[in-house]
Amino acid sequence: MLKAIILTAAVAVALVVYFSLSLYVFPQSYQSIEAQRPQAIVTDVRLSAPDIVLGQALTISVTGTNNGEDADMQIVSVGFPNLTTTDNIKILKHDFDQTPILIAPGELLSSEYSDTADSSVLAQYASIEAFNRPWEAGKTYTAEIEVIPKTEGRFVVFIKSVALPHTWEQAHYPQDGTVDQQKEFVETYPVQVTKP
Amino acid sequence: MNYFRYQEYLEVYGLGRKLFAGYVLVSLGMLLAAAGGSWDITNHLLNKPETFFAPPHAVLYSGAASAVVGTVLVFFASKSGGRSAGRMIWPVKLVIAGVVMLISAAPVDFGWHSAFGLDGLFSPPHFVLVSGMVVGSAGALAGLAQSTKRLPSVLIVIAILPIWLGASGMIDMLSLPFSETEYFNFNPHPTLGVVVATLAFPFLISACLIGSSALAGKRFGVLSMAGAAFIIIGILTSIIPNSALTPTIPFYLSSIIPIVAADALLAFSRSRFSLYAAGTIVSLAFFMLYYPLITYTYNEVFESKVVWPSMIAQIYFEMIQNVFPLVAFPTAAMGILGALLIDRLARNKKYYNNIQQLS
Repeated sequence: MLKAIILTAAVAVALVVYFSLSLYVFPQSYQSIEAQRPQAIVTDVRLSAPDIVLGQALTISVTGTNNGEDADMQIVSVGFPNLTTTDNIKILKHDFDQTPILIAPGELLSSEYSDTADSSVLAQYASIEAFNRPWEAGKTYTAEIEVIPKTEGRFVVFIKSVALPHTWEQAHYPQDGTVDQQKEFVETYPVQVTKP
Repeated sequence: MNYFRYQEYLEVYGLGRKLFAGYVLVSLGMLLAAAGGSWDITNHLLNKPETFFAPPHAVLYSGAASAVVGTVLVFFASKSGGRSAGRMIWPVKLVIAGVVMLISAAPVDFGWHSAFGLDGLFSPPHFVLVSGMVVGSAGALAGLAQSTKRLPSVLIVIAILPIWLGASGMIDMLSLPFSETEYFNFNPHPTLGVVVATLAFPFLISACLIGSSALAGKRFGVLSMAGAAFIIIGILTSIIPNSALTPTIPFYLSSIIPIVAADALLAFSRSRFSLYAAGTIVSLAFFMLYYPLITYTYNEVFESKVVWPSMIAQIYFEMIQNVFPLVAFPTAAMGILGALLIDRLARNKKYYNNIQQLS
């Protein structure tokens, strides 16, 4: 009888300790751990020429870096607000772990640095998203893209980088400037396209 | 005190040594394959670039190779065996069927990838592969249990773990939202996923842990060893590969407490109440033992957040206090059912007759 009482008491104490730890102590302690803070930055953008002739290809080289902590994903986005199709955009080379993807108008995109489905918007113009999953701290990746403008005049290239999850302000680049179709800041690089 | 009861010994019957070695190789192989598979799932979640020679694949294929060698041994030993070997035919059949399923899943998987590109967690070839693991491991365990008077503790753990991990993989397939691809959406409805996980995992934990205790004649330590091995495999394959989760290792390790408590209950008290209590106790730890993957299943219903690998712990610990009270009752009920099933099997008259005949 005494053995049974001791056994029951020991098991009861063990369970009280376990459920207290699992349901209260550990959750409290782990929720106070701050989320990782990646810092997205575009360190280099090179255009093959400031002016091109209609029909001539424009080459864009973009380099992105994560200057903060590890990111689960970081995107370097190159947008072409003058283009409504992706058929004259080519990825010449890149050193990202995953293959960059072409975004055609009409596709769903997230917006305002949010990763939830209810913030989705429809793409209005063509773009390329080069990304790494995960993008470790301090790592740098480059993509070289070729695009052929379809009309003469001012041809604009939008460039930005976003780290996910977007845990703080420095997780996106640039910090201000023009706002794109996703309501996110971009750097603009205009090129003049002239008649042949 | 009956000291003999606590003494481990290995007595393999007649020419069953080759058969015995075969069963051990099959169990070890299935264990390696299941652990490699778990590690591979984690790497896929982390989107780590993958090649054929990735470390998780090496573990998985080494396990498959060990299982094949073990099956060949089992097959030839059963063919050359006399009367005693003939009696063991059904575990041999299970082992062969399981390993054939495991091996045949590889070319089918290759064909599936060729036809449909990337696959999800649940695909027909994956289902065949995991079924093969469970069937083959069950055969090996049955064979081992029939080959000796009493299995050593380590062998009980090695034999029970691949069944536990394989069946867990099967439940993962039917509950995790990882199976939507370009061509097929095999994801369960979120609520169905939660129901499957809430009912199946506690039943499985209870059946495997109490089964390990039953195989050991309820001696203290074996159930704890099986639980500890499951926890260590979870840490090595699901937590350490994701650096954001390493601070949560103490939380995961703490699940050894209810396991040792249940072990003590079964070892030092033979009442039916102790059996029910042990089943309830181990099953209540299911939400903790299946961390971190279980976050994805319950998030679909309770949080609906994007579960980035670095945010798993935050989302899990946000919902644990809400989820646990809701699932506690069905969990405990399934734990008792698992314990009852094992008790029924252990009391099966035919089983005891077989053991007596072998003696």
